[in-house]
Amino acid sequence: MAEFRLPANSRIRTGVTHEAPPGAREVRKFRIYRFDPASGENPRLDTFELDAADCGPMVLDALIRIKDSVDSSLTFRRSCREGICGSCAMNIDGVNRLACTTSLHDLGREIRIYPLPHMPVVKDLVADLTQFYAQYASVKPWLQAQSPAPPDSERLQSKEEQERIDRPAACILCACCSTACPSYWWNSDRYLGPAALLAAYRWIIDSRDEATGERLDALEDPFKLYRCHTIMNCTDVCPKDLNPAKAIAEIKKMLVQRQN
Amino acid sequence: MADQRLRSPLGRAIGLGSAKEGVGHWWAQRVSAVALILLGLWFAASLVALAGADRAAVAAWLHHPLPAILAILMLVAVFYHAALGLQVVIEDYVHSEWLKLSSLVAMRLISIALAVAGIFAVLRLAFGG
Repeated sequence: MAEFRLPANSRIRTGVTHEAPPGAREVRKFRIYRFDPASGENPRLDTFELDAADCGPMVLDALIRIKDSVDSSLTFRRSCREGICGSCAMNIDGVNRLACTTSLHDLGREIRIYPLPHMPVVKDLVADLTQFYAQYASVKPWLQAQSPAPPDSERLQSKEEQERIDRPAACILCACCSTACPSYWWNSDRYLGPAALLAAYRWIIDSRDEATGERLDALEDPFKLYRCHTIMNCTDVCPKDLNPAKAIAEIKKMLVQRQN
Repeated sequence: MADQRLRSPLGRAIGLGSAKEGVGHWWAQRVSAVALILLGLWFAASLVALAGADRAAVAAWLHHPLPAILAILMLVAVFYHAALGLQVVIEDYVHSEWLKLSSLVAMRLISIALAVAGIFAVLRLAFGG
């Protein structure tokens, strides 16, 4: 059955509090999920008080500040700090988003930060995305064509054809959408999730691709595709303003279309 | 499923592959939903019109072919749509294979039994009175 309560070894305890430095002008409280598999202890929620006046404007700046000057063991992924690598996706105040593009100004005095929901946790804010990436790989996210490429040019597309794949191709695989989806929470072992399905859609509608039928065949499955119940959390949280829910609906429409 | 820890992540993601099924279920759920909008409106209006009527009046109403046929169609659509929806709920939340399979079979059989019982009741009123 679906589990509605965390297993005993995942229940969160109260952790330590690091108070704001003396003379802090604008104190913000960060309640951050901490988990260290090596310690053998349950996860805990640490509180870090930070002077926002002495810190960059984004949540990621605050995390880096904490790691630099309060607790160097705080673990999280980050790279580009401009919303294009997708590394710093985490659950901030109950919403999956990128720490680097989430402004502290848009959040309250107290900010709760957890790893992406319902994923195995490697350490602190780092979720294990192995399965998520494997699901992405399973939709064969590359061009498949039988016609050889023209010897003297690229495989051409019209401007309209390019525009159709332009948005879906902008996915950064941050996993905000899939880990916000209740269907993915309950059935991620068999449901591909919005990110992988958006990638599949991107190749299905690519005018240069010739494996459209095989791609649709591979998705026509009660679990791989049809676990999507149009909850639309995916579209709601996407930090790149993409629309995986619509992509999935389009795939479902194409599957009907090729039957009738 | 047997222990899969040593299987590659891609192997696990591919799993048993595609069932090549699901589009029929999805489409049937939508078509039956549209049918239920129309039949449901008709049924609600009929119930309002029959408010306070005794058994004889309802039987007389069902003696006419059109109400009897629509009532039977309504029952078929209701239990068909319910069975499709409950199937999704069970597949979503029941993860143990044997429990899932037995719940699905039981749910299907109960839906069919209820639909048949409803149709029988309509026919009895329509023909017997």
